[in-house]
Amino acid sequence: MQKIVVPGEKVVNTPVRIENTISDKNGTYACVIGFFDDARKILIPLEGVWQPRSGDTVIGIVEEDKGTMLIININAPYKGLALTKFLEADITTGDTIAATVKDLEKGGSVMLLKPTKLQGGKLISVSPSKIPRIIGSGNSMVKQISDGTGTKIIIGLNGIIWLSGGKMDIATSAILKIQEEAHTSGLTDRIKKMVSNTKVQ
Amino acid sequence: MSGSEKPELIINGKRLDGRMPNQLRDIKIETGVIKNAVGSAYIEWGRNKIVAGVYGPKEALPKHVQDPEKAIIKCRYAMSPFSGVEDHSRSGPNRRSTEISKVTREVFENVVLLEQFPGGEIDLYIDVLQSDGGTRAAGITAAAVALASSGIPMSDIPFAVSVGKVGNQLIMDMDKIEDNYSDADMPVAISPRTGEILLLQMDGNLTKSEVSAGLSMIKEAGETISKIQREALKAPYEKILERYKE
Amino acid sequence: MKIRTITEDYIRDLLAQDTREDGRGLLDYRPISIKTNAIPNAEGSAQVTMGNTKVLAGIKIVVGSPMPDKPNEGNLITSAELLPIASEHFETGPPSPEAIELSRVIDRGIRASGMIDTKALFIEEEKVWDLFIDVYTLNYDGNLFDAGTLAAVAALSTCRMPRYEDKKVVREGNIGMLKVGNPITSCTFAKIADQIILDPDSNEEEFMSSRLTIANDENLVRAMQKGISGAFSPKEIESMIDITFDKSKELRKLVGNLKE
Repeated sequence: MQKIVVPGEKVVNTPVRIENTISDKNGTYACVIGFFDDARKILIPLEGVWQPRSGDTVIGIVEEDKGTMLIININAPYKGLALTKFLEADITTGDTIAATVKDLEKGGSVMLLKPTKLQGGKLISVSPSKIPRIIGSGNSMVKQISDGTGTKIIIGLNGIIWLSGGKMDIATSAILKIQEEAHTSGLTDRIKKMVSNTKVQ
Repeated sequence: MSGSEKPELIINGKRLDGRMPNQLRDIKIETGVIKNAVGSAYIEWGRNKIVAGVYGPKEALPKHVQDPEKAIIKCRYAMSPFSGVEDHSRSGPNRRSTEISKVTREVFENVVLLEQFPGGEIDLYIDVLQSDGGTRAAGITAAAVALASSGIPMSDIPFAVSVGKVGNQLIMDMDKIEDNYSDADMPVAISPRTGEILLLQMDGNLTKSEVSAGLSMIKEAGETISKIQREALKAPYEKILERYKE
Repeated sequence: MKIRTITEDYIRDLLAQDTREDGRGLLDYRPISIKTNAIPNAEGSAQVTMGNTKVLAGIKIVVGSPMPDKPNEGNLITSAELLPIASEHFETGPPSPEAIELSRVIDRGIRASGMIDTKALFIEEEKVWDLFIDVYTLNYDGNLFDAGTLAAVAALSTCRMPRYEDKKVVREGNIGMLKVGNPITSCTFAKIADQIILDPDSNEEEFMSSRLTIANDENLVRAMQKGISGAFSPKEIESMIDITFDKSKELRKLVGNLKE
C-alpha cells in the first residue's frame, strides 16, 4: 500500500528509524510531504531541498573568480567552492559547470571536485526531490529521453539539468512531465510515447 | 471603532452570522499559488483572504545573523492597505504587525527541523489581502501549509485559531465585529501531533476555567482545521493520480 | 540562491529565430486573465495574471481634505508595492526606487487619461473623497507596468462609489458605481540585442538594455516612460507607438468586457 503523507502524519505505530521521519514513543511520523510505501517502509519525498552528499554530481554557475578559488552558485543554501589550481584553465565568472561534491565544510560551503565547463545548451530547474525519478533506475529514464530526442543531458542532483542538441523542447517537456507526475505509475511508458519518433534524422 | 453602541452579538443562542458558539467559519486552502516561492498557500477563512509564501533555505545574510548550528527563520506578516471595510491603512510595518511577525516566527522555529540547514535562512511571508478578524491565526494556518508544501522538513503542521468571550459565553473563531465588542480574545497555535501549545496570547478577561474550556474548544476545532490543511496539501498530487487511475 | 537557468545567449539565439522561451512571437502578450471584485472589502479590486506575473489592485475611497491649491477637487493617490513574497529579489523595507517608479507610471497614465474626474470627488467645503489605488505584486515575472495598469483600471471600472450622508459614509446597500472615463492601458517593450519585444518576462527584463512603456487610449498617447540605461532611436519609438495602438485594442477589449 502506498499513500501520500504530510508532516506529523503517523506512518508506523512504533518508533522506527526511517529516512524523512521522526519518532517518539507512540510511533513514527512523516516530516516531509511524500509517498509512504508501507511494504518497504520508505518515505519518498514529493518536494524537498537538496542536501549535499559526497559524490553527488551538481550543476552550477560560477559567480566569482577569487584567483585561487571559484565561488559557484549551486542552487542551494550553501556556496560551492572549487580550487583553481586543479582546473581546466578556461573556467571563469558566468560559466556553467558540472562538478562532484567532495564534502560539506563546517562553514557551510560545499567543496567541489573536477569542475568541467558546459558549453552552450540550456539549463532547466526542477525540484531536487524529483531527480531520482528523472534519472530512473540504472539511468533508464534519462537514457530513454536522450535516445529518443538526440539531446545530451547532464543531471545535477541539486535540481539543475543541462540539455544540449537534438529536440531540446521535447526533452524539456518530458522532464517537466516526470517532475509533475513523479508519484504516478506507468510513467516510463508515457514518456516513451512522448519521445519516440522524434529522433533527429 | 464605529463609535456606535455595542450590538447584541448572540441572539437565541446564535451569532450575528448565524453560527453556533463553537462553530468555525468556512475554511478553504489552496497550495502553489505563488510560482516563484518554494512553497505557498492561499487561505480563505470566512471573509479573511491571506496568502503565505516561503523562500529558501538559502545562505543567511548578513553573515552575523547566521547560526552555525541551524537555519534561522525570518517572518513578515503584513496587511494590505485595502484589507479593511472602513479605512485605508498605510502599508509598512507597525507595532502590531511586528509583534505578530515575531510570535508567528516562534511557532515555526518549534516545528521546522532547522538543524538540517546550518547557516541557512528560511523566509516566511504572510500577506493579508482582506481582513475580518483572526488574521494572525489564519495566517499561521496558511503558513504551515506553505512550509509543508515546500518539502522543508517539519515535525508537524501546526494550526491556529482564536476563542473569544461575549458576556459569559465562549465563542469560537471571532470575526471582526465580534472581536470589536468581545470581552476576551485568546489566539492559540497548537501542534496537533503532540498537543503542545506553540502560540498563546490573550486579552480581556477570562477565569481559569474559561481558559481551560477555551483550550478544549480549540483542540476540537483543530481536528477540522488540520484535516483541511492535510487535504489541501494532498489535493494536487491526488488530482494527478486520478488522471491515470484505471 | 536560486540559479537563473536562462542565459543571455540563449535568449538572443531565440530572438534571432523570431521566438521566445515560451514559444510566443516577439510582439505577443502572454495569456492575460482578470478577476474583478477579488477583495469585497475594497470598493474596487482586480487580480490580473499575465503569464506568471500576478498583481492585485485594490481601491479604497475614504473622506479626506482637499489640497490647499485645489479646494474643489478630491485626491487620487496611487501606490505600488513589490512584496517580498513575489520574488526572492524583492526585499522587506521602505519602497525601492523601482516600486516608486512603478506607482508613478501607473498614476501618470490614469491621471493623464482623465479617467477619473477629481472634481467629481468633491463632497462639501473642506471635505473631499480620497481615492487610493494600491497595486500589490504577488508574483513577479516581468512587465509589472502593464499588469499593474490593467489591474488598476479594471478595479476602477468596477468600483463602487460610497455616499456621504448625515456626516456618515455609506458603503453598502443602494450605492452607485464610480464614474470613469475612457480606460487607459499601457504597452511595455524591452530591447535586447537590438530586437524589440513586447511584454518582457523576468528573464528578458534581466537582460534588456532599455525599456519603454507607452500608455494610451483609443486616440492619443497619454504617458510614456523610458527605463534602463540603453537607448532607442526616434524611429524605434515611432514604431512602438504604432504597435501600441494596435496591441492596446486587445487590452481595452478585456477591460470593456468587465462592464457588461
